[in-house]
Amino acid sequence: MRRTPWILLTLMLLLGVVPGAASAAEEWAIEGAGDITSINASEDGARLAVGTHGSKAVVFDKDGQALYEKPAKNVITDVALLDDGTLLAASDDRHLYAYDSAGGVRWDADMKRQVKSVSASNDGSVVAVVVQRSNELLFVNGQTGETTGSAAIGTVMKTVRVSGNGEWIVAAAADQFLHLVGKDGQVLRKFGAGGQIASIAVTDDGDTAVGTNANQVELFDAEGRKTASYGTRDSVSAVAFSNDGKLLGGADLSGNFYIFDRNGKKLWEEKEGQAGRAVEFAPDGKTLYAGTDDGRILKLDVGSVVKGAENEARMKTLLWTVAAAVIVAAIALLLFYMKKRNKLGIFREIWRAKWIYLGLAPSFLLIFVFLYYPAFSGLFHSLYKWQPGGTTTFIGLDNFKRMIHDPYVTKGFGNLLILIVTGLIKTLIPPLIVAELIYHLRSKKLQYGFRTAFTASMVIPAVAGLLIWQNFYDPNMGLFNNFLQLIGLGSWAHGWLGDPKTALWALIFIGFPFVGILQLLVFYAGLLAIPGELTESAKMDGANLWRIVRSIHLPMLSGQFKFLIILGLIGIIQDFNGIMIVTGGGPMDSTYVPALQMYYAATKFSDLGYASALGVSMFAVILAITIINMKFIKSADD
Amino acid sequence: MNIREHLNLRQVTIVAILAILVFLTLVPILFMIVSSLKSNAQILGNFWGLPAPARWGNYAEALNAIWRYILNTVGYAVAGSVCVMLLSAVSGYLFAKKTFPGKEVLFLMMLAIMMIPGILTLIPSYVLYENMGLTNTPWVIIVSSAAGGQIFGTFLCRTYMAGLPSELFEAARMDGAAELRVFLRIVVPLSLPILATLFIMQSVGVYNDYIWPLLTIRDSDLQVISVGLTIFTKQFGVTDLGTRFAAYAISSVPLLLIFSFGMKYYIQGMTQGALKM
Repeated sequence: MRRTPWILLTLMLLLGVVPGAASAAEEWAIEGAGDITSINASEDGARLAVGTHGSKAVVFDKDGQALYEKPAKNVITDVALLDDGTLLAASDDRHLYAYDSAGGVRWDADMKRQVKSVSASNDGSVVAVVVQRSNELLFVNGQTGETTGSAAIGTVMKTVRVSGNGEWIVAAAADQFLHLVGKDGQVLRKFGAGGQIASIAVTDDGDTAVGTNANQVELFDAEGRKTASYGTRDSVSAVAFSNDGKLLGGADLSGNFYIFDRNGKKLWEEKEGQAGRAVEFAPDGKTLYAGTDDGRILKLDVGSVVKGAENEARMKTLLWTVAAAVIVAAIALLLFYMKKRNKLGIFREIWRAKWIYLGLAPSFLLIFVFLYYPAFSGLFHSLYKWQPGGTTTFIGLDNFKRMIHDPYVTKGFGNLLILIVTGLIKTLIPPLIVAELIYHLRSKKLQYGFRTAFTASMVIPAVAGLLIWQNFYDPNMGLFNNFLQLIGLGSWAHGWLGDPKTALWALIFIGFPFVGILQLLVFYAGLLAIPGELTESAKMDGANLWRIVRSIHLPMLSGQFKFLIILGLIGIIQDFNGIMIVTGGGPMDSTYVPALQMYYAATKFSDLGYASALGVSMFAVILAITIINMKFIKSADD
Repeated sequence: MNIREHLNLRQVTIVAILAILVFLTLVPILFMIVSSLKSNAQILGNFWGLPAPARWGNYAEALNAIWRYILNTVGYAVAGSVCVMLLSAVSGYLFAKKTFPGKEVLFLMMLAIMMIPGILTLIPSYVLYENMGLTNTPWVIIVSSAAGGQIFGTFLCRTYMAGLPSELFEAARMDGAAELRVFLRIVVPLSLPILATLFIMQSVGVYNDYIWPLLTIRDSDLQVISVGLTIFTKQFGVTDLGTRFAAYAISSVPLLLIFSFGMKYYIQGMTQGALKM
């Protein structure tokens, strides 16, 4: 029984380790191609047509052998391969070309305007064409190249896609709207995307994927309802469905290529080259062709990724089943055991205390959801590259390794040591001195008065206090430089916070003369608790004041010291309010601390896994301090 | 006679040293008040002098810029503190006066949270609230202060209520009072001092919180005073240093009010919390 949690833990860890690697198996380069504008694979996967910015349309076989290469007089904007081997190529030279499987010209249609996009059903029965600055989507006869009809869209279009079975035609307009068109040229529906549309893809079921410049790929069903959306790192330049419609490939302008599943999950991501321009799946769904802006086509083997994802899903179901079974078995066993021992009475007690549990429920609900869950989430995700909403990949101790090599962290750690040493001196010595002074005042009224006067500094909100101190350090209007001038030391005036050499010390000096209220009150209460007889008898023995403080007060206050040291340490390690407000870690890295780096890792760089790892490290240090302290106290008590 | 003089001299020295230290401690407050009534020219030209003439307009301008933040924060602080009081009073009472199966385990679970530092949970909490859609709403402040504050509150209440005489409750119960009635009519009124302490400590905590609202609230209309003080100059194009100091002074008013009524309770809570740990 005791082993079960460990088995579960191991299984959970194993789940995270499922490899998510795709390998760039091959790449083909096309000489003088420039941007790859479009890629289209034939239905049987035997051929791959590529359109380039360098005015060439190239057809490859599946091994990467170029079968033929056809020049045009301007950029090839789009290509489409039909089942019979026909290649349709649209070009900015205002022509739409059709070549047969051997490379012979079948027809060459002059469209009068630049042809921006062409797409066809696999059998070639539906061929849709977008030409420049036209509000009409054109249909072309695949056999002859004659324009047979048109659909009035009412606005200029960027691109068009026809599903493989020819049932669905989607045109993307420049005004961010998508138009679903019937075969007869009737516009069936229109729906809006969340940004400028760069690329679309449509499945045989009428589901449409849209890549936008809002760094998103959006998925719509045939009714025009948005069913999913995926975030990318940059403007999306291309999207494509696999033949079975289960996978969605994407490319963005930073050269990242993605594979998503239909449930909104990112399965894979990889960076190749400067910018991604085109993507296309091979019919088996195991190969992704990726076109870059430097004329390369990468053949990425993604079969393992997809399989890995499938496996993961299966493993998860399995794990949940096993876990459920184990829990049921454990409960059954426990009940059986209790019955045997005749301890079932506890349930009667629990039932009797039901109102008590109900009373505690809100508290514990909050505790589990908002305190325990984040703590474990932090521990767990410190081992991951954590991207909420995207993929979260297990990377072992990489976050921690990175920490050691992060100059901000090492610098921050050095600063933290300085802050700890000075901080402890600050929190202990001045309050102790003040507590002693107040304690030695004869007049109770004065004692009370001074105590209140010191606590009066609490009325300033902490942030306001920090901002006032920041102003003290101002080179021109600040209190410090003005004060130096006043006493004739104007030459010492300085940009205290602007100089990396003094910034940290300026931060440390904030709060002078450092009479912490909590510390003062704790010490003062401690002094009051010292029995009067002790001091009286010492005085009778002729001890002077200094002797009494050293030999009676300090030893009697050791508990307070311990407590304040621990509290101080924990506080200093975690605190970065002051640094954040006053210097923001600068100038350069002179006032960084690990906690600040953690905050920046999470907010500026969205590197949540790394931030968690930093948090976990600081937690480990604090825990160590606490444990040492507990041991220490125990041994002191003995 | 000699000894008395000696003593007096010593007392005078102590008073003098303490007076200097108090003055130094309060320098930021004094400086803030004096500068808040000056214009930029007055600060530059007459740094050490008193404001002449005093520019009260600074306060009007500052109030106009930050009233919203103050109102927000006071609202969050009150809501969060009331939640903490309710949760802590109930849990504290149950843990102090009741026996039920699993009491020790549940109490240990609360105790263990004290070992989890805020720095570990800061980022994961942010992700959690974000996923729940609570960020950039008042709830992100109220819920987190209620969840976090009730731990300390339960400890305080438990200790305090354990000291209440059980016979009192027994007597009431014998008179036929229901449990809820006993709690509301006897336990809560007797525990008012500790609940006041809790309320004041929690409100002051929320009022001074900076990092959490900075991380979770993006909308300026919902922002709290701590963050507001760092952004209002840009937001409202405030260039006058005097206005800035006036804003700091205004932002102290709620704390001034709460401390003038409840300083005793605050100090009690602070020292008690210190001793309990």
